[in-house]
Amino acid sequence: NIDPESLLPKLPSPEDLRPFPTTTATIFRGHEGRVRSLAVSPSGTWLVSGGDDGTVQIWELVTGRQIWSAKLSKDEAVNVVRWRPGTDATVLSAAAGEHLYLIAPPISDPETEAHSRTIIDAGFGYAATKTSNGSSATTTKPTKDPPTPWTRPTPRLLEAGVLATFPLLRTIKSLSWHRRGDYLATVSPAAQSRAVAIHTLSKHLTQHPFRRLRGTGGLPQSAHFHPTKPIFFVATQRTIRSYDLAKQELLQIIQPGSRWIAGFDVHPAAGNNLIVGGYDRRLLWHDLELSTRPYKTLRYHNKAIRAVRFHRASGQVPLFVDASDDGTVQVFHGKVVDDAMENASIVPLKVLRGHGVRDGLGVLDVDWHPREPWCVSAGADGTCRLWM
Amino acid sequence: MAGNAASPEDKPASQVRISLSTKQPDVSLAQNPGPILVNTNFRRYALSTLVNTLREAEKPTPFEFLINGTFLRTSLEEYLNATGISAETLLAVEYVKAIIPPLYVASYEHDDWVSSIDVISASSAESNSTSATPITPGQERILSGSYDGLLRMWNMSSQVLATSPSSSGGGHTAPVKAVKVADPSLVVSSSLDRTIRVWRYTEDSAEYSASLQPKIELYGHKASIDSLAVHRPSNRILSASADHSVGLWSTRKSDAPQAPPSLIPSLSSQGAKRRKVGPATSTPQRGALALMKSHNAPVSDTMFAPNDSTVAYSTSWDHTLKTWDLTSSTCVDTRSTSHPLFSLTALSSLNLLAAGTSARHITLIDPRASATTVSAMTLRGHMNAVVSLATDPQSSYGLVSASHDGTCRVWDVRSSRSDKEGRVGDSTYVIERESTKGQARKAAGEGTKVFGVCWDADVGIVSAGEDKRVQINQGKGIVGDQKAQ
Ligand SMILES: [Mg+2]
Repeated sequence: NIDPESLLPKLPSPEDLRPFPTTTATIFRGHEGRVRSLAVSPSGTWLVSGGDDGTVQIWELVTGRQIWSAKLSKDEAVNVVRWRPGTDATVLSAAAGEHLYLIAPPISDPETEAHSRTIIDAGFGYAATKTSNGSSATTTKPTKDPPTPWTRPTPRLLEAGVLATFPLLRTIKSLSWHRRGDYLATVSPAAQSRAVAIHTLSKHLTQHPFRRLRGTGGLPQSAHFHPTKPIFFVATQRTIRSYDLAKQELLQIIQPGSRWIAGFDVHPAAGNNLIVGGYDRRLLWHDLELSTRPYKTLRYHNKAIRAVRFHRASGQVPLFVDASDDGTVQVFHGKVVDDAMENASIVPLKVLRGHGVRDGLGVLDVDWHPREPWCVSAGADGTCRLWM
Repeated sequence: MAGNAASPEDKPASQVRISLSTKQPDVSLAQNPGPILVNTNFRRYALSTLVNTLREAEKPTPFEFLINGTFLRTSLEEYLNATGISAETLLAVEYVKAIIPPLYVASYEHDDWVSSIDVISASSAESNSTSATPITPGQERILSGSYDGLLRMWNMSSQVLATSPSSSGGGHTAPVKAVKVADPSLVVSSSLDRTIRVWRYTEDSAEYSASLQPKIELYGHKASIDSLAVHRPSNRILSASADHSVGLWSTRKSDAPQAPPSLIPSLSSQGAKRRKVGPATSTPQRGALALMKSHNAPVSDTMFAPNDSTVAYSTSWDHTLKTWDLTSSTCVDTRSTSHPLFSLTALSSLNLLAAGTSARHITLIDPRASATTVSAMTLRGHMNAVVSLATDPQSSYGLVSASHDGTCRVWDVRSSRSDKEGRVGDSTYVIERESTKGQARKAAGEGTKVFGVCWDADVGIVSAGEDKRVQINQGKGIVGDQKAQ
């Protein structure tokens, strides 16, 4: 008689996979209404959050002290906030309604702040030069759009460090930076053929490379750059497509089997691995070398999953996390193995409880500290939490 | 078992010979009683009664007992079984006065979160030998640094004697993160505004007036400066910054190099535009003697080596404790631990450094090159990050920690046990915030996070926190042993 349990692969115990976040270390209070999005700065010392009250707020990560705040919109929610990658500058991007904002918040030393301002303002100079010369850098691009106007915001916002803004056609739901910090992708699901935009910061240039996304599994939801290759991923409601940016070619159609994708993330070290979270409560791990179908399906939540995130240093810290409308954040171990014979081992580690559920909404976004096994979460209950 | 139906066949309780001694002269025995035969079922209480009987004291004093440097927490029998020591051995038992709770004394209310504190007292001034006038009891001062950007000097009657000027008057332009008294007339502060400021403190008792006047502004760090140390005899300041560097500075403007112009906000164009600096302040601006770079994450705390001011220690979020040679400004030793380190203090007579972690514990580290293990002991009990530490000024074994869990904890490193992770210590006393006493503990210490703690021989345990208060608790004799001199 063989014990069937003995045939199952042995999963390591969570105890052996420490450290991972287990408890609330800091609660951030200051938003009125839901916090929609948050992100830890590349330096690991600041948290930025944005919410239904139209504000962007910056906090000292460990103490929870609010350091800076700006109201971007009177009537539109700030749906996404993301830091520009890299520690050479402190540049923040935020989306309120259909407007994209670029911010150099006054939290850095004068040298870094000046550099941050230069990075945002460079495109104004570029646009001016282009007009006066009459030559267009965009003629070779597959877009016939006139250049989108990047403008200065109101004097009040300019004073606060919000240096540039420009409108897209519809509400922006996703913001994602290329690792070098010059390209920024936005997704405005309702903007039809212009739903997905790639912005070149240094030139204030906007392109819409994916014209024919209709009939590809619903409206576009979110997009990410591959961490090392010129590959771009776009999620619609039901599929994720990868494109070769250089050749302008479709590479793969990934089929998570989710009825409605809420968000996905690309493994920062092994870009062939994706995690996908769905409003249908499923969390999926894809190994694109194996299949376009999920390698692993995890059903741990009672309500929709809102966000998923790999640890930024996933090579060294093999953790990922998801956030759900059931009010919990769940932490998983997920190690990508180099050995081709072996596949990623995935172990559920911890359910993080503390956020309240409001009107059926729970935790709306999650992020990781760039080095430590600390995560942060944004709640419909109006708070952010740091977990250590 | 022993409680019910003891049979007459039970062997008589076994006995062990002990020799009693103490290092505390006020409770020593008039004459040495020599070896005493006691039952092995004796615990602390029975031994305490025995000592009080031998002392023939009118009022019994509660005692704790140390065998081989560890507090007796069980019966003698269980101790002998656990350690494998034979009952035939003569046990050397040291007694110390038991812990006195650190009673609440007072709270000083602020307008905003209080990040840090320091004390001027006879005992603190002693260590800063340049003091001209001795400080008599009742004349002690408490210096606080607040998130409102201000330093305040308090007397012992909870009155503010002096407040530092606001940002337009030459003060900090962001929250104060650290304050230190160099001597009774010189204080130093650091801030999220990336500056260190040296202040002249003057008090005129005849005029009932006091003032904190800016003396020097120090530029060089590129991020928040979260901790300071001052060595008055050499006029040196150490700073720990989130820019990953440890700074070395002088309190004297004649020693200090020029300030880097690119880091002075009023000189950088955007800063001038935005900050609309009023009448130019005349405070001299200077730079660092050295900015020492070796950590690769924010530096959380730093200190001079207790017996050698040419050596510094620093802790960092990068998990390491580093030793610096200040004459060459080089890192000479790195101890790696498993967690980000947030705070640092020394137990100098034990050759140990204590480092508070993000992982809710305190690690004791032997920084000497000869030490073979990184962690000598772990102190457990806090429920959130340990962000500030201070050493008991009157005991070689005591320290106090401040945590974001809303408590300070007092530790006696002799109170320890072994478990699978090695030596583990538990706190001997927990100091809650008086401002929220009796209320249910909030998740993550919300509203009660303690940011700084200081332990002065005269004033006591002084702590500062998110509750906008400085809290004073009695600090004498909590850890029952005078400092070995
Ligand atoms: Mg594989």
